[in-house]
Amino acid sequence: MAALDEPRSAAKSELEDAIVSLQALQRIPRAVLRETRQALEEAKRFNREVIRPRALELDMKMQEDPDYLPWDFVQEANRRGFYTMFIPRLFGGRGYNIPALSCVLEEMASACTAMANLVGVHYLGIDTLAASWNMRLMNKIMRDVAEGERVGQPRIVSLAITEPEAGTDVEEVELLSKAKVTCRVERVKGGRVINGRKIFISNGHLSTWHMLVGYEDLQRPEETTVMLAVKTGTKGFSFGRMEKKMGQRACPASELIFEDCFVPEENVCFDYGYMDRMVRWLGRPRRSVPEYTSQVIHYVLSTSRAGVAGFATGVARGAYEEALRFAVETEVGGKRLIDQEWARCLLAEMYKNVALARLSYVETNYANSLYGMFKVLQWKPMFYILKLTPRKMMDSVVAPFLNLGAVTWLFRKICLDGQKDEEMQRTSGWASLSKFAASDFGLRNCQLALDLMGRAGVLFDQGAEKHLRDCKLLQIYEGTNQLNRLNLFNCLIGRSLPGVRAFEE
Amino acid sequence: MTSQRSEEWKLLERMSCEFALRELRTGREERDAHPFAPLDLDLLRKGEELGFFSLLQEDGEEAPANLRALNLILENLSMEDAAFAGAVFTHSLSQMVILQAGRADVLDKLKAKAAEGGTAEGRLPLVAFPSFDAPGETARGLRAEKQDGNYLLTGKADFVVLGSMAAWALLPARTMGVEGFSFFLCPLGGEGVEAGPAVLSLGLRSCPGVDLVMKGAVSSLVGEPGEGARYYGSAADLLAVSAAAMSLGVMKGSLREALQYARQRVQGGREIINWSEVRMILSQMSLHCRTGEMLLAAVMQEMAEGKPGWEVSSRAAALQVQDMACQVVSDGVQLLGGNGYMRDYGQEKRFRDAHQLKVLMGHHPLRKLEFLRLAEDIDSH
Repeated sequence: MAALDEPRSAAKSELEDAIVSLQALQRIPRAVLRETRQALEEAKRFNREVIRPRALELDMKMQEDPDYLPWDFVQEANRRGFYTMFIPRLFGGRGYNIPALSCVLEEMASACTAMANLVGVHYLGIDTLAASWNMRLMNKIMRDVAEGERVGQPRIVSLAITEPEAGTDVEEVELLSKAKVTCRVERVKGGRVINGRKIFISNGHLSTWHMLVGYEDLQRPEETTVMLAVKTGTKGFSFGRMEKKMGQRACPASELIFEDCFVPEENVCFDYGYMDRMVRWLGRPRRSVPEYTSQVIHYVLSTSRAGVAGFATGVARGAYEEALRFAVETEVGGKRLIDQEWARCLLAEMYKNVALARLSYVETNYANSLYGMFKVLQWKPMFYILKLTPRKMMDSVVAPFLNLGAVTWLFRKICLDGQKDEEMQRTSGWASLSKFAASDFGLRNCQLALDLMGRAGVLFDQGAEKHLRDCKLLQIYEGTNQLNRLNLFNCLIGRSLPGVRAFEE
Repeated sequence: MTSQRSEEWKLLERMSCEFALRELRTGREERDAHPFAPLDLDLLRKGEELGFFSLLQEDGEEAPANLRALNLILENLSMEDAAFAGAVFTHSLSQMVILQAGRADVLDKLKAKAAEGGTAEGRLPLVAFPSFDAPGETARGLRAEKQDGNYLLTGKADFVVLGSMAAWALLPARTMGVEGFSFFLCPLGGEGVEAGPAVLSLGLRSCPGVDLVMKGAVSSLVGEPGEGARYYGSAADLLAVSAAAMSLGVMKGSLREALQYARQRVQGGREIINWSEVRMILSQMSLHCRTGEMLLAAVMQEMAEGKPGWEVSSRAAALQVQDMACQVVSDGVQLLGGNGYMRDYGQEKRFRDAHQLKVLMGHHPLRKLEFLRLAEDIDSH
């Protein structure tokens, strides 16, 4: 990765890191605001009609029967169009702007983080697929999701990356070279054969498509990363156990088992061979193959971590709302809590935590819109073409072109090769910041809610304890908060310091 | 303390360690599934046979030593399963209130009654108590009326811990014409008492609370009418440090599990214990544990010496250690990553238990506010 040697450019870059939202003011399409409001209205209605009434009931059900799968919820979310809401119209989706996803996830998580995950994790899979800019496969899978919505059969997408001995290691390319990975992808005639296990795969049992990250050479995973789309029902692919989690119970964490599982070449999303060819075609490529792999991972995490920050803001808000309700309704020591100064200060602290968590993901989404994965979609001409082109024309005239290899090449050239190192670092650094800041605020708010509510806070039927159980996972997945702090350091601090190398001490 | 007693307590402490490792570690997950799995009453009976529930049976000179033994046992048990320790604590709190009311004879009678099989079928010779509430709050929902030398209790008591399995409950209630509240001992499992289902809570699930609806339940007054707050206050002074001991045990269990995991788990080509940020977190956890140990030791020393103000120290220890425990258990889950969040390692249970233990003996912020008043009282004397 190119280092920024000149102090002047480093200073300029640091300034741009700090004023992302100011720069976005002129460049974000106006319709984004209207769309976001519409998306939020739908999420609020969904909360009111489905999530809130069922949150505790479903959590209780999962405690009673840990193997229960909430298909009915997935069906309802599918019926209401939440699984295509953020898929571009180019690929048959409803085409809402992707930054609005964080707002929708916040809204849902304010009532139940597990159910928010049942929607949000699907977009983690979609993001992974999109991060590779394989337009043909994006067209195939996203249109399959849209078809699933049309016929009333949910076809959601998951991401399968974590392995029994490699969690943190597979989230960072710098660590990948030392990872004990076991999921091997072998090149065979007409496709690939997978052997290995993946664990903690959110929504695994409920998903139709699994974006699987495997490795051709287990000794050199950083140089031989392969990403494939595996469909449920494929021979050699089965589900193992469902984890018994402390919270977010309605969202299954699954084990995926691959035993000589054949995947046709058309479902290979990207591999190092393709990237290698691209590097050679480009003549003067910006990056090496492992660096492109790293970039794709950063792309995915820069969007998914904004989503986690959305969940975390939601849970922080949910805890705040429970505490506020309790303070208004409850007398302690002969006086309503809300009339006691210490309780008011505590509620103000919680409100602040929600507001700052939200600001952090908004800033990350601006960074993604200006410099990251959403850049092409948020570019005003592209935004309005995708928004205003009649769907029929999109489906019959534009979509067939997406199957051409040249289109994938062009998008990779623009989106991957066109992204500067400092832009990648800015999006990734901000994403990490919002992820760990918001999840720390979230957990703090849950603890404050329990403090304020006393014994009522630890009772299941009051709802606050569920927020606490749900929230803890947000500090762990998508890279632990410690890993995210290190990533922030690497991306926004260490990059301009001479002699500082990532993950070396 | 006689040397014979000292040996007895050492033996008891050792037994509690072994009991925790052999009996509490295994089957912890299954027990924690309550109310979706049955309670393991046999385990509680085993604990009773080992004497964990009768440490406060006697009052007098041995009391500080008994309390020290109780705290060690609660700490050891909580390292593996704070729910079991919760049962010991709740029964001990009931006993302590009765002792503070000057009614050691009542405890003897209960013991004798249990020995002759005079308790409701299937119930253990334990005394339930609403140990997560300030009794003054619970007393608002219960009324006692005198009739033929006994009292009839009516009303509702929420979240009475051990209420589904204990033979008796010690409940605070108000009586007409009496200022303040009084404590009443009420047999459970008989007429006039309806116990609801186990109330699902964040932690300590195999030490459940139930809501009791009293419909003229025959009960006996413990101590003097209207003196409940005084008895409870004295009992709380003594047992606040025991509540702290439980939180300390949970912290130490979490640290032990995290250390073990960090030595084995490899990421980035080295055991994670060799990552300096991981070491920093472990150090912080260890620091909290050591601080908790020192706090408890200091309070026990003050108690043994009868040093003025030991009551405030006891309450301070509880507030402080309960706070620290919530930080430690959160780090304890964090260090195990995704594994820490799953039920397999016990860390997530410790996380839940520690947060519930913070509410033991009442609302944490209100206890803090009350603490200042107590501290001011002590200072002014």
